[in-house]
Amino acid sequence: MSIRINVADQMGSKKMGPLALVSLIILVIGMFVLPRYLKNAQLIMMSRIFLLAVYGMSYDILRGYTGFINLGQAIFFGSGVYMGVIFLNIQNDLTYFMLAILAISALSVIGGYIMSKIVLKTGGVVASAMITLALGEIVRSIAERWRFVTGGQDGLPMRASRVALDPLFETRIGAYYFALVFLIVMTLALRQFVLSPTGRVLLSIRENEQRSRFLGFDTNKYKAIAIIVSALASGWTGVFFAVIARFANTDYLSIQYTLNALLITLVGGTGTLYGAIIGSAFVTWINNFLLTLANSYPGATILRFPMLFIGSVYILLVIFMPYGIMGGIYRLQAKLNLGKDK
Amino acid sequence: MGTLITLIVSGLAEGALIFLMASGLSIILGMMGVINFAHGTLFLWGGYAYMFSYYSIRARVILSVFPDAFQTGTQGGILRVTGVQLQAGQYLPFSQELLIFVVSILIAVSVVFIMGIIFEKLFISRVYGNAPAQILITLGLQVVFTDLVRVIWGPNMIPMSRPPFLDGVSSFAGGRIAHYNVFLIIVGATVAIIIHRVITKTRIGMVIRAGLQSPENVQALGINIRKYFTVIFACGAALAGLGGALYMPLVGNVVSSAGMNNQILAFIVVVIGGLGNFMGSFLGSIFLGLMGVGVAVFLPAISVVANVLVMAIVLVFRPDGLFGKAVNKS
Repeated sequence: MSIRINVADQMGSKKMGPLALVSLIILVIGMFVLPRYLKNAQLIMMSRIFLLAVYGMSYDILRGYTGFINLGQAIFFGSGVYMGVIFLNIQNDLTYFMLAILAISALSVIGGYIMSKIVLKTGGVVASAMITLALGEIVRSIAERWRFVTGGQDGLPMRASRVALDPLFETRIGAYYFALVFLIVMTLALRQFVLSPTGRVLLSIRENEQRSRFLGFDTNKYKAIAIIVSALASGWTGVFFAVIARFANTDYLSIQYTLNALLITLVGGTGTLYGAIIGSAFVTWINNFLLTLANSYPGATILRFPMLFIGSVYILLVIFMPYGIMGGIYRLQAKLNLGKDK
Repeated sequence: MGTLITLIVSGLAEGALIFLMASGLSIILGMMGVINFAHGTLFLWGGYAYMFSYYSIRARVILSVFPDAFQTGTQGGILRVTGVQLQAGQYLPFSQELLIFVVSILIAVSVVFIMGIIFEKLFISRVYGNAPAQILITLGLQVVFTDLVRVIWGPNMIPMSRPPFLDGVSSFAGGRIAHYNVFLIIVGATVAIIIHRVITKTRIGMVIRAGLQSPENVQALGINIRKYFTVIFACGAALAGLGGALYMPLVGNVVSSAGMNNQILAFIVVVIGGLGNFMGSFLGSIFLGLMGVGVAVFLPAISVVANVLVMAIVLVFRPDGLFGKAVNKS
């Protein structure tokens, strides 16, 4: 017997128990106090985890809530990183940061709209995955050739080597809080989106597209909305990521970063939104671990190809743990509740 | 006129190569309903396996005949290849060169055929009927095996020359025609005819077509459809491997990014021609090959986006592709 999970219940539309609420508040306060005890490298890692979590969540809006597999998601994230570096290279302050956010918003909305126009024509998960993969790779190869703007394969470093976003983020601690606040705001915003009437329609499309169409919903319109919202969130994350990474190259546009998003949602559990936070912690940790390993054993060439290991983990996850960590927990909960009712 | 002939021949050769790639993809999609995102990596393995065996065998043969041949240094990662250059006036007889070439191609194709069997048995057989999982799993294989190539043969580009007996240019009606291009066109046409005959005229093709319609009934007749699926997948993979082996000498080098680039071309062909439609991917490949050459000559500025542009236009006007879908899978 298959267990249907009421997603709305997971997402907290049900009143949260006092225990859960208190522990959540303690966790958030802990996150705000934590940087006092961390070294710079750890701060950077934590900030990356926060930002990639938002990236994962933005991907989950598509993959988990509409069942649509977008293999070109990295276009938006990478464009965001480029926008951040380009604008902050002009002038390194909050005004130009906001301008970068504005620019990427426009780009993501237009790009997402064009993408949805091309992809939703054929319908079907398979065709859309193929087409988005092609779109993504084409954008990457354009960026690689457009050396004047993107720096080609060498990448585009941020000119101010020490200070990003004067005077707010002279230190890595500033960037940490920046990322943490962004994560909290985006989590609330995306949660609101998922719980909104539009989000409910998206869920119904995932469960049974035909029936939603019969109910009178223009499913393609709703899917386009999901693509654009997820593109926007990914683009913003990219701009924030530029502040942390202080560097942009075509890797951020490549299939590698789409795969990162897929892996983040897979580890956490697709369609669980918060799972992306766990997934992001896992993916960032494994990346860091491989990097330190490669640095301590410079002779081992195999360690210089992290995607070899990350890809293997990913294949194993698809086969053995298709619901991810959060998905597994919810499934367990649903099973227990089922037992109680009887 | 001369330029036109040159362009058409090289466009058709391009198309033949794309066809080798796209036909494997299209057969796997049409017959099994599986989309193989690892096709590019199979192509790449074909190319690298060909490169490795061609270099190794040729170096051994040359050094046994001409011990004074000039060695041009080794390249690669874990497996290394040594370039060998003949001194002026020395050459291997045609029969030996042909043998080296054919054996290398056969090795490449068999390596990829075996990889196809392993992929199908270990991974793809677990996710039949589950399109998202197929996409995710084959995408993972793509990434892992592409990086494996970089580990085994190194991340750098390795030069790859054409076999000497195909490495010429003839004049024909004012145009210059590379022999290798003609060879590619012949191979492409032969493969197309063989596949078409197998699907329409043989018992295997009949079982495959029946299995597409109703796998339960075919199983009920006592036919093990899973075994057929394994063979189809491996054959599709072998076609990609053949494409890879023939592609590397055409462009003159072996590099690990070629897999993804060609996979995207094949995807575009499959989308344009209609998912899983064999005829569609045949015509689509020729079209894309000719267009690629034409754009590169007359409109080089848009050469990067031309393919995607064509795909977008086709999808806007004919969402099912120019020749209609063969599979109705979501």
